[in-house]
Amino acid sequence: MESFRQEGRWSLLAVVCLAVTVRCAVTAMFPSLQQQLDQQVEFSTPMTSYKSLREGLFLLRHGLPVYSGGVVHQPPLLLSVFSRVPNCCHRYLYAVADGVVACQLMLVSRALFSRTPGQRRVPTWVVGLLFALNPLALLSCVSQSTVSLTNVALSSCVYCAVVLRNTWLSGVALAFASYLNVYNAVLAIPLFNAFNGARREVCLFTSVFALCLALLLLLSGSQGNGGAFDGSFLQATYGAMIRFESVAPNLGLWWYFFIEMFQEFIPFFKGVFNVFHVGVTPAIAWRFRGQPLYSFVISLLWLTLTKPYPTLGDTALCFAYLPLFAPLFGYLKYPLFSTLLFLHGVMLSPIFYHLWIDLGSGNSNFFYAVSLVYALALGSIIADFVWAMLRMEYDGGSPNYKRRLTQI
Amino acid sequence: MALSCFLRSVSGTNIDVNEYDLVNSAMQDDADDVIVTGSCKTNFTAQSTTEAVASPSATRNVEENTVADAHTVEDVQFQDFVEETMLVLDELKYPYQEDLRLKPLPGNHLLSSFSFDMKSESFTPGKTDLDIDQYSHYTVFPKPFKPLLERTATRQLHLRFTRGFWDAESWDTLPYDGFKSGGSGVELWAIIESDSQENAYRQWKSLANSLSGLFCASINFIDSTKTTYPVYAFHPAASEELPLFDQDKQLYLIRAALANEPVCTENLTPLIKLLPTKGKSGLSSYLDGHKVFDSIWHSLSIDIETQCDDLYGECRYSMEAMVDMVINVPNTIERVENPIPKPVEADKLRCDQTKHFDAFVCFPSSDNAETDFLFSKIFGKSIRGCDNFASSPSRVCANITDDWSFTLKVGDDYLGLDSNCFELNEGVEYDINLSSANTSSVTVLDEVPLYVSRSLTGYGQDHGGLRTVFHNPRSQPVRAIYFETLPWFMRVYLSTLQVDNTHSNGSPNVTVEDIMQSMHYVPAIDRSRPTHLEYIIEIPAFTSFAVSYQYDKTLLQFAEYPPDANHGFEIESAVITVVSPTDYQIRTATLLLSLSTPDFSMPYNVIIITSTVMGLIFGMIFNLLVKRVVTVEEADKVLAERTIKAKLLRLKQKILSRIGIAT
Repeated sequence: MESFRQEGRWSLLAVVCLAVTVRCAVTAMFPSLQQQLDQQVEFSTPMTSYKSLREGLFLLRHGLPVYSGGVVHQPPLLLSVFSRVPNCCHRYLYAVADGVVACQLMLVSRALFSRTPGQRRVPTWVVGLLFALNPLALLSCVSQSTVSLTNVALSSCVYCAVVLRNTWLSGVALAFASYLNVYNAVLAIPLFNAFNGARREVCLFTSVFALCLALLLLLSGSQGNGGAFDGSFLQATYGAMIRFESVAPNLGLWWYFFIEMFQEFIPFFKGVFNVFHVGVTPAIAWRFRGQPLYSFVISLLWLTLTKPYPTLGDTALCFAYLPLFAPLFGYLKYPLFSTLLFLHGVMLSPIFYHLWIDLGSGNSNFFYAVSLVYALALGSIIADFVWAMLRMEYDGGSPNYKRRLTQI
Repeated sequence: MALSCFLRSVSGTNIDVNEYDLVNSAMQDDADDVIVTGSCKTNFTAQSTTEAVASPSATRNVEENTVADAHTVEDVQFQDFVEETMLVLDELKYPYQEDLRLKPLPGNHLLSSFSFDMKSESFTPGKTDLDIDQYSHYTVFPKPFKPLLERTATRQLHLRFTRGFWDAESWDTLPYDGFKSGGSGVELWAIIESDSQENAYRQWKSLANSLSGLFCASINFIDSTKTTYPVYAFHPAASEELPLFDQDKQLYLIRAALANEPVCTENLTPLIKLLPTKGKSGLSSYLDGHKVFDSIWHSLSIDIETQCDDLYGECRYSMEAMVDMVINVPNTIERVENPIPKPVEADKLRCDQTKHFDAFVCFPSSDNAETDFLFSKIFGKSIRGCDNFASSPSRVCANITDDWSFTLKVGDDYLGLDSNCFELNEGVEYDINLSSANTSSVTVLDEVPLYVSRSLTGYGQDHGGLRTVFHNPRSQPVRAIYFETLPWFMRVYLSTLQVDNTHSNGSPNVTVEDIMQSMHYVPAIDRSRPTHLEYIIEIPAFTSFAVSYQYDKTLLQFAEYPPDANHGFEIESAVITVVSPTDYQIRTATLLLSLSTPDFSMPYNVIIITSTVMGLIFGMIFNLLVKRVVTVEEADKVLAERTIKAKLLRLKQKILSRIGIAT
């Protein structure tokens, strides 16, 4: 057991180092890659792009109002943290952030498998390596989209809740995640499952989360104007996201729908899409209340699918958790179909975007079609994993792949 | 109208007939007729009779400039006469002045600048026309403006209609140092008195809507997405005092521009109608829409200012209307002479001597060195002098070198003066003749203090760059205010602002900090505010560099695209005001921004397909979440119970058991 720990420690260190080094190396070898990726709609959105972060820093540095325009959507504390780091060092910050995620993933994986011995498992180092070398995660990190930072907060949240079982820390981590992207607050519901229904813990978690988030918002509001609360950032960061103000093409379902929607119905459908985005999470959390990590990951996948501004960076984090559900793999009905669908979407999207935007030989429908394929791919992955979990629950721990089951 | 025509005819008589009292009294009779008919035409006939008598006395069979002295002597005599005998009539002259300035430009171009100045009657601020004790009377000042200015509390109004290309590299400085011409399209700025910016904007919007109706232009398309509040640029000179009628209020400078708005006769006609002569007499009779807009570059401008006398507490509006145009003389004449283009006849064909030519091959020489033309040929009309009600006579001046001759044609006589400036004070038909043996010899004005050009960079339809090249050709550093407004769908990243002078030879390296002294930046808000960027820039001597920054293009909603979305979106020109060493204003060309477009035929398809995909995914997952997991055999059993047949069977059994028949 001790040697296993020892071995695990070395492999953990190696994978984290590899993750950080690969990211630094890619940035150093292709200096223009960052800008190139920052323009790619798959990796950066108006809400998360590094360009708008830089613009926020510029405005902050020159004493201009940061949130009066429609360009900066990053929350104030993030800007003030970045303003204290020289521009040339930002890339290392992102690389370290991804390293932390890799490390936490491996720790979560080890804790999970040590709790359920005898199950089919993927080696810890493989879990880490799959994230470290996942091209989506890698490129998202190189593009320096702030999604990477949200990912750290989310992964810390999982780590604290599942491995450390620390109510306080997971509440704080989720507060940070929600501070960066307000929709992440919904993930509190699947996290309740981590406390095995202990009412006291749930209350504590909720209050720590709420207090911490309130504190962050207060701090951001009173920052830089002598203690008086200035709520202008709320509109620019969260309001703009919820109201889907800057319509930019991305892999999500929202953008083309709202471009083509008739003016009068736009507010109504924005409401519908928001409900669609957050409304399914409680159902998932309730149905899989015995599986805290699983319900969390499936909720995260759902959020990624229905986000107003999704990126491949979000997807990369969700996919990083999938190897942890190795016992479910045998139950998947159509993994090949989902994989191919996903690859099809991811590979065609830059091509079709190029055809539409740069060459003009395709039109917006090309990219729209790919975004639908991508959505279907994520949808089929979610559905397949949900089915697999239902199937495993039915089997109660002793897999019987031959049993023919259905639902009524 | 009747009143002004009466005055016109009386004073016309007064000017023309200095010695002939008999005629004078006869003219008075004629003038009485004029009051009845109220038409300028009658007036002409009356005056031409006068002219018939008067012209022999003046002996104006002029060859070149020899008659100048006689003319001035006559003017002096006439002045004396007016002071002695016609004092009452002299007071009835109105503050109106019109000028025409001509300047040949290189390449056989000709700049004609018409300017019309007028002042309103004085009025007491704070009293509107509705006040019972307010007496208002419109004379030469156009009637539509006063109520408009009062309603919107506008203290200064500047309106520009400009189209065309001013070739600064060969034509040098713009007329009036560029302060009277706008960017391509329509430009409007005003100083409005109001208690808050919101109210000022409301007044501004009302002003724009009214002007839109007045000038038949789309000025009503000015809204908050085009309106800016300039901070450095467009401010009136410090020497100008702006009146504040209500001391609790403030003055707001508001500006907007409509890029590449077509400027056409429908804008010129209302402008001419604002003049007291209405295009029927005086210099404005030259202005014909077909000819003005046939030019390479043309600019119509209107500036209204409020001037107050603190001593008496009275104010008056003064208005300057200008029409400037650059025409290519040979082309214009060619078009008049040969409406259907024909090949040049062999004996008139001049070949380019620098290239090979023989009996069969001839490259036509591009420029005529000689020219001789009458303006009536270019403008299609001649001047009908009939604005004698004005306090100063119409003037026609030419800014020419000795190679040119500038003469005034009165009847069949040609007049010339050393000063190249004529005062038209007779009610006859005038025409202008300009001739030269060497058209390339033109008066040299100051070189343009600064060249600025702006362009869009990048190729994709999702992002790009804006690059402004400054070039200072002079030996002194130039200080200028750069003003730029960009629409909200260009998401500007000012953090990418950089100065690049690697491509200019020999220029010293400059950094952003060196050249930009203060900056005012208001970022855009989607659908409600444009980007507004102003900075003061100092360009060292003999230096050129480019200032560039990046922007992202956003997508618009389906209904926000114009009908010709693939044509692109007009970006208004940047305004550069040079403040030292000289005062000068330049505008860059407008830009055409192409945005990516959605498929406009897709709304129903997109709504249906997206909803289907969402419904499909949601349905799949919802089904999985709520349904019970059972084996296939169990499911079959349960389903078998649910069929109608099974239900009927169950019902039958129930009924049978009720009535006691056991099965």
